[in-house]
Amino acid sequence: MKHAILGAAALALLATGVVAQEVTLGRFFGDCEDAGTDTKASVGEACIIQSIINAADAQLVGVSVNTLPTDWGNYYDQIKAAYAGGTPPSVHVMHRHRVPEFASLGALADLTDDLEAAGIDPNDWEAAALEAVTYNDRIMGVPMDFHANLWHVNMDLMDAAGLVENGAPVLPTSPEEMLEHARAVKEATGQDYLAADFAQFPIGVRVVLALLWQQGSNIFDGDMATIDTPEARTAISAITQLFDDGLANPQLNYADSQQAFLNGEAAVLVNGTWVVDFYSAEAAKDDEGLNTYFVADFPTLFDEGATWADSHMWAIPAPLKANDADTYAAALQVLAFINDHNIDWARTGHMAVRTSVLASDEYAALPHRDEYTGTADIARDTPPSVRYGAIQDVLNREFQAIWLTGKSVDAALADAQADVQDLLDR
Amino acid sequence: MPRDQGARLALTQRQAAAILLLPFLAVYGVFLVYPFFKGVWISLHDWNLMAVAFNPDAKTYVGLRNYERVMWGQNITWGALANPGFQIVGFLGVVASYLLYRTGRAARVTALAMGIAGLLLFVLPGFHPGEGGRWFDRRFWPTVGNTILFVGLAVPGVTITAMLLAAALDGETRAKAVLRTLFFLSQVLSVTVVTLIWQIMFSPRQGLIANLTTLFGGSPIVWLTAEGFAMAAIVIATIWWSLGIAMILFLAGLQDISRDLYEAGALDNATGAKAFWYITLPNLKRTITVVVVLQIILHFQVFGQAHLMTGGGPNDTTQVLVRYIYQTAFRDSELGRASAMAVFLFVIMGAFSILQFVLGREKDE
Repeated sequence: MKHAILGAAALALLATGVVAQEVTLGRFFGDCEDAGTDTKASVGEACIIQSIINAADAQLVGVSVNTLPTDWGNYYDQIKAAYAGGTPPSVHVMHRHRVPEFASLGALADLTDDLEAAGIDPNDWEAAALEAVTYNDRIMGVPMDFHANLWHVNMDLMDAAGLVENGAPVLPTSPEEMLEHARAVKEATGQDYLAADFAQFPIGVRVVLALLWQQGSNIFDGDMATIDTPEARTAISAITQLFDDGLANPQLNYADSQQAFLNGEAAVLVNGTWVVDFYSAEAAKDDEGLNTYFVADFPTLFDEGATWADSHMWAIPAPLKANDADTYAAALQVLAFINDHNIDWARTGHMAVRTSVLASDEYAALPHRDEYTGTADIARDTPPSVRYGAIQDVLNREFQAIWLTGKSVDAALADAQADVQDLLDR
Repeated sequence: MPRDQGARLALTQRQAAAILLLPFLAVYGVFLVYPFFKGVWISLHDWNLMAVAFNPDAKTYVGLRNYERVMWGQNITWGALANPGFQIVGFLGVVASYLLYRTGRAARVTALAMGIAGLLLFVLPGFHPGEGGRWFDRRFWPTVGNTILFVGLAVPGVTITAMLLAAALDGETRAKAVLRTLFFLSQVLSVTVVTLIWQIMFSPRQGLIANLTTLFGGSPIVWLTAEGFAMAAIVIATIWWSLGIAMILFLAGLQDISRDLYEAGALDNATGAKAFWYITLPNLKRTITVVVVLQIILHFQVFGQAHLMTGGGPNDTTQVLVRYIYQTAFRDSELGRASAMAVFLFVIMGAFSILQFVLGREKDE
């Protein structure tokens, strides 16, 4: 009997040695059912990232990757609850803007001294990418991309309005000129000039922020809210003049504004880098709607160029590094694999973070890539804050109140100023 | 000998009851009573969700400060007509409860409950920031107002629709049985499915409602982002969703009404609508009370519909209390503040539970 027990224990030990180390992975980007393992064939953010994860699962020896079910809209709530409950995923994606919130609490593992051994070369990252994942001079994550707001352009509508020169769209250089262009499009085609999600996700906020930064202003400085300013009024009226004249519809949400653009009902859609490959694929289809697609940098309507931008990055929870060396090592292997496939992720339309990838022919050959090379230079975001999410929600609520419910700009900016100040004071 | 053994093992009734109750009390204590008091305790602290997870000492005791920060403000004053709409209704409620009691048309407890509700409605909305003052959290009371508005629309909506449906579908034909099942089916769906269905229904581009409006020559309403329609949209989805249980309760209530009453009524020429008004409704009084109070308690906890369909927008018009608690706890990591709001919600729902208890006992008196 004793022998039998010992034998079983030995077998169990052997089995656990052979069984792959499981790495749980949390991510947003949405679901993709049949992503496969071909990282060159998938289309769209969800399927491209899942194909990379599936390939890691298949190719990394001794490592299995289990993608946890998460929901985009509540992602950070879920991740925080998981941390608070002591069960965070082994690796998870996050935005650069969340680093202060997570790193200041000691939630993220310091990867600085372990990257090279895992086959990740931080020297190959763009300076801005390294900065994005650095907190107090320590590297807290592996960057995956830069993403930014772009102007996605329907060239047929622009052409009909006489707004194409040398194969590129003519973009406005001032709010007045934007209004002229918008009227020209309406007259020539009957369609809207601009569409974006002004009703749900904070894309409208990001448009206003860009116009604010273009005037050298910002929403807060240190712990002082600076929203209720003449610059903010100018930025907002640049947008609302289009709504007031019926040249853009503020009531469309993300799905509806995208559909309007793909149906050929808007000349310009403001949306991120993440949809370039998807819109290219849609434009290539032989149907009504969008046929000639162009991607442009966010135009400069004021003094300096600026567009909203952020970075996606991968992090490992600090408790994992402290308590579970085997899973930590496996998690680093998964991050190295994702880092190695930076070119595949860039197929979405995102900008790569590795200088070797940025310099490659394969990267230059990606569709529309040469049309928005200026975006990297004008990429901006609000100052770092542990209250980033709540501040975005305040802006989103108050700006939407202006164009959806007719709240006066003065009242909305005063409320936003008070609410953001309240958040900064907490 | 065996008899002695049996005698030794025998339990008194009290002991047996204690043993049988123990499993329930243990589960109830661990999963309901303990978390409740823990919630109250958290509400007395400045407690960051993540910080405390990494460092249990990262919380500080702040007494009632969270309650003050959420519900109070700077330079708050009270006026009898600061919020005339609510306050006049409240005042009339107090007067009506007194009159009903004096004329004997309402029992003492009912009149008392009504009077207290009216008094609260008169007193609470009277608080407002005086000159130069402000609420510390200017969104809290409007959020409470939205929640009350939601309850105020959804509860009569569900009750009346369910009652009419039950009256129409009470019977033994096959068609009625099929229809009863159909109307109950929506109840078994989860909130995610319900909101998805209704988001599609309300979509201005592809929705059924938009298609119908366009068919009749109108321009489609953008339900979920239009200020005047967003609350209506989530109320409609909620009524559709929670019709089933109320309908079943009414059907049970209807089947309790003796056929003799209708036969007697028919002799006096009371049929159809007349019979419904003079026979069915009075006999359903108790069922209506149960349905209304249950619905009130249920709908104060509305979350999914507002969270998934409108995100609380536009301009916070559909922001409801549980969603605000959720955001404060998880987005902002402010567990203490969120718990203070949750305790407030508990007090409201507790009051309605007591009301139901009181009204339920009245029958036995």
